[in-house]
Amino acid sequence: MEPLNDQELNQVLNQWTAPAAPRALKFPKDRSGWRWLLQGSIRIPAPIALLLVIAAGVWLYSTRSTTKAIAHPKPVSLADFQPVKQMQPRVIGRANEAN
Amino acid sequence: MTESEIKSAFAHHKDAIYRFAWRMTASPDKALDITQDVFLTLLRAPNRFDPLRGQLRSFLLGIARNLALTRLTQEARWAALEDDESAVAPIEPGEAREMVARAIAALPPLQREVLILAQYEELSLEEIATAVHAEVGTVKSRLFRARENLRRMLAPLKQSRSISCGTAK
Repeated sequence: MEPLNDQELNQVLNQWTAPAAPRALKFPKDRSGWRWLLQGSIRIPAPIALLLVIAAGVWLYSTRSTTKAIAHPKPVSLADFQPVKQMQPRVIGRANEAN
Repeated sequence: MTESEIKSAFAHHKDAIYRFAWRMTASPDKALDITQDVFLTLLRAPNRFDPLRGQLRSFLLGIARNLALTRLTQEARWAALEDDESAVAPIEPGEAREMVARAIAALPPLQREVLILAQYEELSLEEIATAVHAEVGTVKSRLFRARENLRRMLAPLKQSRSISCGTAK
């Protein structure tokens, strides 16, 4: 089959027109650095997200069951506590530090 | 460059960047992402553009080209970005526009980018060389091979065109 000449090739190529930029194309916002912390988002693959959810569920369940296992202690009353009646300070010299 | 200058560049060049990315990737979504990424790159490093080294349009198309090639490589649609593949598979006949699109998509990426920049964006050889970081001689050679490949791949259109011209008369 005879190949196209230059003029024919140009004519044929010019039939392939590209669409105009869509309206959805907006000036991008720079979300680098600290801006990313406020406005950024990350994509997580579905299997990893599922694993994270399951792990979080297991962790919550285990912490709840541990909390239940601990017996609730009785309320502590300070009624029997009394201030020290007489202070007996004792000075210990360096020589007697061991005592 | 200031942010307002970059916004002005966006208004002036977004269509050209989008068209180029669309033709390189054959995907509206990817073209949209690439166009936004081009201006994001410029926002993050506004001093990378040096007016002494070429036009802003060539510079932006160069960024778009790098982003497009990175995507194509990641998708492993081409094992390597070779530009010396001469045996391009023939394409099925169909509507002229579709055949052109398929033929250009079948070109090796390094041939495709110079063809798109020359044929559709009407960049000079020097501007293309700046955009694709290659010598002018290399660009000429890639463009020649791209056109040779297309001449052969689109040869079936010659017959249909002559038939349609004949009936039109």
